Amino acid sequence: MTGAGWLFLFAVIAAAGLLFTMVFFIIMFSDLECDYINPIDLCNKLNTFVLPEALFHAFLTLLFLLSGQWIALFINAPLVAFNLQKIQSNSHMYDATEIFRTLSQHKKESFIKLGFYLLCFFYYLYRMILALISESE
Amino acid sequence: MSGQQQLPPGWIAQWDQNHGRYLFIDTATNHSQWEPPVHGAPMNPDSRPQTVSPGPGHGPAPTQSKRRQYAADQTQAYYGGADMAPVGPPSYMDQPIHGGGGAGSGGLFTPGLTAEAGGQPPYYAPDTPSWQNGGQSPGPAYAQPPYVGGGGPHGQPQMGALADQFSQMGMSQHGAMGQKPFGLHTTNLIGVPIDPRELLRPPPEIRLPPGACLSQNPLANADPSYMRSTINAVPTTSSLLNKSKISFGLVLTPHRSIKDGDEPVPVVTDTVIARCRRCRAYINPYVQFIDGGNRWKCCLCSMSNEVPQLFDWDQQRNQPADRWSRLELNHSAVDFVAPTEYMVRPPQPPVYVFLLDISHAAVSSGMVATATRTILESLDRLPNADNRTKVAIIAFDVALHFFSIPPGGTEASMLVVSDLDDVFLPKPTDLLINLSETRAGLEALLTKMGDMFQESHTVGSAMGPALQAGFKLCASVGAKIIVLSASLPTLGAGALKNREDNKVLGTAKESALLQAASSFYKLSAIDCVRDHISVDMFLFSPSYTDVATLNHLPHYTAGGTYFYPAFNATRSEDAIKFAHEFGEVLASPIGLEAVIRVRPSRGMRMSQYHGNVFTRSTDLLALPAVPVDQSYAIEVQIEENLNTPFVVFQCALLHTTCDGERRIRVITLALPTTNNISELYSSVDQIALITLLANKAVERSMSHKMEDAREALTNKLTDILGTYKNTMTSAGSGASAALSICDNMKMFPLLCLGLLKHVGLRQSAQIPPDLRAYAQALLGTLPSQLLIPYIHPTFYSLHNMPPECGTIGEGGVILPPPQPLTSERLERHGLFLIEDGQTIFLWVGREAVPQLMVDVFDLPSYDQLRGGKMTLPILDNPFSERVNAIIAKVREMRRGPYRPCLYVVKEDGEPPLRLWALSSLIQDRADQLPSYTQYLTQLKDKVNGSSYS
Repeated sequence: MTGAGWLFLFAVIAAAGLLFTMVFFIIMFSDLECDYINPIDLCNKLNTFVLPEALFHAFLTLLFLLSGQWIALFINAPLVAFNLQKIQSNSHMYDATEIFRTLSQHKKESFIKLGFYLLCFFYYLYRMILALISESE
Repeated sequence: MSGQQQLPPGWIAQWDQNHGRYLFIDTATNHSQWEPPVHGAPMNPDSRPQTVSPGPGHGPAPTQSKRRQYAADQTQAYYGGADMAPVGPPSYMDQPIHGGGGAGSGGLFTPGLTAEAGGQPPYYAPDTPSWQNGGQSPGPAYAQPPYVGGGGPHGQPQMGALADQFSQMGMSQHGAMGQKPFGLHTTNLIGVPIDPRELLRPPPEIRLPPGACLSQNPLANADPSYMRSTINAVPTTSSLLNKSKISFGLVLTPHRSIKDGDEPVPVVTDTVIARCRRCRAYINPYVQFIDGGNRWKCCLCSMSNEVPQLFDWDQQRNQPADRWSRLELNHSAVDFVAPTEYMVRPPQPPVYVFLLDISHAAVSSGMVATATRTILESLDRLPNADNRTKVAIIAFDVALHFFSIPPGGTEASMLVVSDLDDVFLPKPTDLLINLSETRAGLEALLTKMGDMFQESHTVGSAMGPALQAGFKLCASVGAKIIVLSASLPTLGAGALKNREDNKVLGTAKESALLQAASSFYKLSAIDCVRDHISVDMFLFSPSYTDVATLNHLPHYTAGGTYFYPAFNATRSEDAIKFAHEFGEVLASPIGLEAVIRVRPSRGMRMSQYHGNVFTRSTDLLALPAVPVDQSYAIEVQIEENLNTPFVVFQCALLHTTCDGERRIRVITLALPTTNNISELYSSVDQIALITLLANKAVERSMSHKMEDAREALTNKLTDILGTYKNTMTSAGSGASAALSICDNMKMFPLLCLGLLKHVGLRQSAQIPPDLRAYAQALLGTLPSQLLIPYIHPTFYSLHNMPPECGTIGEGGVILPPPQPLTSERLERHGLFLIEDGQTIFLWVGREAVPQLMVDVFDLPSYDQLRGGKMTLPILDNPFSERVNAIIAKVREMRRGPYRPCLYVVKEDGEPPLRLWALSSLIQDRADQLPSYTQYLTQLKDKVNGSSYS
């Protein structure tokens, strides 16, 4: 298996992981809406995942950059920029006092990310298979 | 025309040389008095020609000589001597509402209002010599119909003929719709004088369908002071609500104070609490009994529930009781004593932790001495019904000073902790002490404390670590922490920097100064809510103290912020104000460990909560302690079509009283539904609406820009006016010279303007961020009763008030009639009072007559008077007594702990104070901000320029 094959195998696993994180976020938000969890616990729980998720995604993008996968890099760069901007403005963490005011935004954001990771997942899968095929030929 | 001619029959006026005024003698009874006698006859038509004023834009206003003329003998004028026109019964109604006019306005003049101006000051009779000699032709007086009672079938007669026509058309248009429970009176705003008493009108009547309520009791529906809705007839569909552009919300003050004359909330003591199985609503006067009275149908979700067995049983006397006399079926606001199912733990005792700043700034301003004395004096007033109340005092400067008193001890020992990074409690016990057991020791400590730190010269404040220590001290119980700080926190956690930057003020970046500089206060607030700790902030800094950041702690823990800029206890006014407010806060019967849930009828949802609360769930508010008289605004969404004839909102406040009893206060508000937009408009409660919009504007100014908040408010108003014009008037979408609105929203544009000009939102580069943040905090917490004067100050004219004002009447001291907020009313020889519930200005005109100065200030002349904060002397003359009575009444008539300071403002005094006082007159133009007339013109152009459907 060549470098590209390994890279995309890793990317598929990573995208699956990120996908699950987003599903978890969305489930937690709907729990909050149904009053199964209080906002303080919710924010404590989710905030532990926010930075790792962003870092992990940034790491993946860095790998694409180093290996010269320009299309994959191009797809991921906007999200990295978005995350970076949120961290810079110090608004990446969920705020228990304001969560009900911003809940709809958070949900929307999570759904968009979910869709994005899903798309990425299939793209990486396709590229991985492509790499494996080209290798076997 | 002489004075005698206008006196009632049998009276003569005699000039008294000694007193320099007229003495009035009743020849029939030989009774004599200084005040001119009053007779009930209508005024002499010759003395005041009554004409209907043409609206503005109908040619130039009638003869208006703007020469400033003042009565030659102003002493007479001030006392309303013999020349005073007996203006019929001194009730306000017959007087021209804006008579003061251009002539009396002195140097202050709003050009836009010229058309209205021109009446004569009501207390200066037309026969005052100088008036006559001056060739002043009497301006038109405006026949002001008594507004109470509706003022005829439509609008007000004095409005322009054009507007009359419109309103008539509006009427006929909707008259055809058949049944019209709400009379919709369309009013033209332009050119119509403002009557501030409109603001005192009760909200539009709630007209429930017959049979909706089980009880005939007038208290069966919520009193507006507990709960009021912005609309008193709920639209059946959300599209109708959106079309009308009115914001739908509730304004809630569940823990309202009970003042003298208020009905106390009845208490249901038998712990039989009937609740709906599905929506958990409490039984109330709007449920239906079915199945022979064995079941009841919930009015919120139509669920049929069983009536509890003991519901008809008097447990005390052990005999059947009359169901219909049960309190919860007859009262909208009722307290239930909660059984143990409503407790997570035994009721907590009230705990008060005082965090006292003892740095140099605090000691030198006298704050420490005043605060300790107030606590000492308030020890008896602290809620302590069952001797469980606990108190702790922590002093802080660069270190933390704990005070420990063993039970029964009389000596306090001080323990100093200087490790600020890792705060610990120096002793496991005796820091939080029982008030009753350790009373002697506490008293000794508080007496000493004022002097103990007299020599302190330390600069720096470890407020953050002190808060952490406070949290540690009472994390297991829950408490009310009261922080008294006179400097910016600079040490340990929560240290803040001085970020005041005058260059940023008035620009788009200003809202950054209103956001929190440190996350410490917000994060601590979250922990506090969990541990049932509520924080109150009393801030006294002479310089920047970052109220915006510090306010986060009270904001999310349901506390309150009190700000005393440039506090100096050597000024007795400052000390009294602080001691009074602090004492009131300490004595107020707070509720502990509370949650509020508001349940609407099916089809509606609570979407947003505003106020000092922590939102714990989509419909649950958590309050570690419920302060008295704080209000919460809640936005309501209509999600489904409502097909019931009326809807119900129920607010339940579960709390522990300070006597250790768990209680549920239930407040039920029932409103009819409507599918008619005209009914919707005629049921708008402008007071509630502006309260809700003020809350939203404050929030917006923090999250977005100040400019956005102001624009959003004006846009809202334009939308409402535009839609109203299109749907309710014959002008439709075409251009119109009138600006129409329904009668019950007449004051709404002025209130919006007041809000735009308020310190909390005003476009200005002069307002220090601390003052702005404090004003915003108040805008977000004050109940409507305090908020309305805060936005729209009350303006009284004292020198010519009717004789009964300031004396004791049926409802306490009689206040003079409020005047419209325009400087045209400021006469040069007058004495005026402007108050907004937080400050009182006593405006003294520069030509105030010596007699006035002697009677009110005990000073020989105007020149000797000094402006600024002062206490008015109580002198032995009727006028001084009346003025003092009015000021005292103004101070105590509203709810809330606030005690406004009195500022004497000289007309030619220091500019800052003068401008501050003048900024209360919101109908005038100020800097870039438009006058009321200009604002209306802007609105009219916007309404005509855009299309609304």
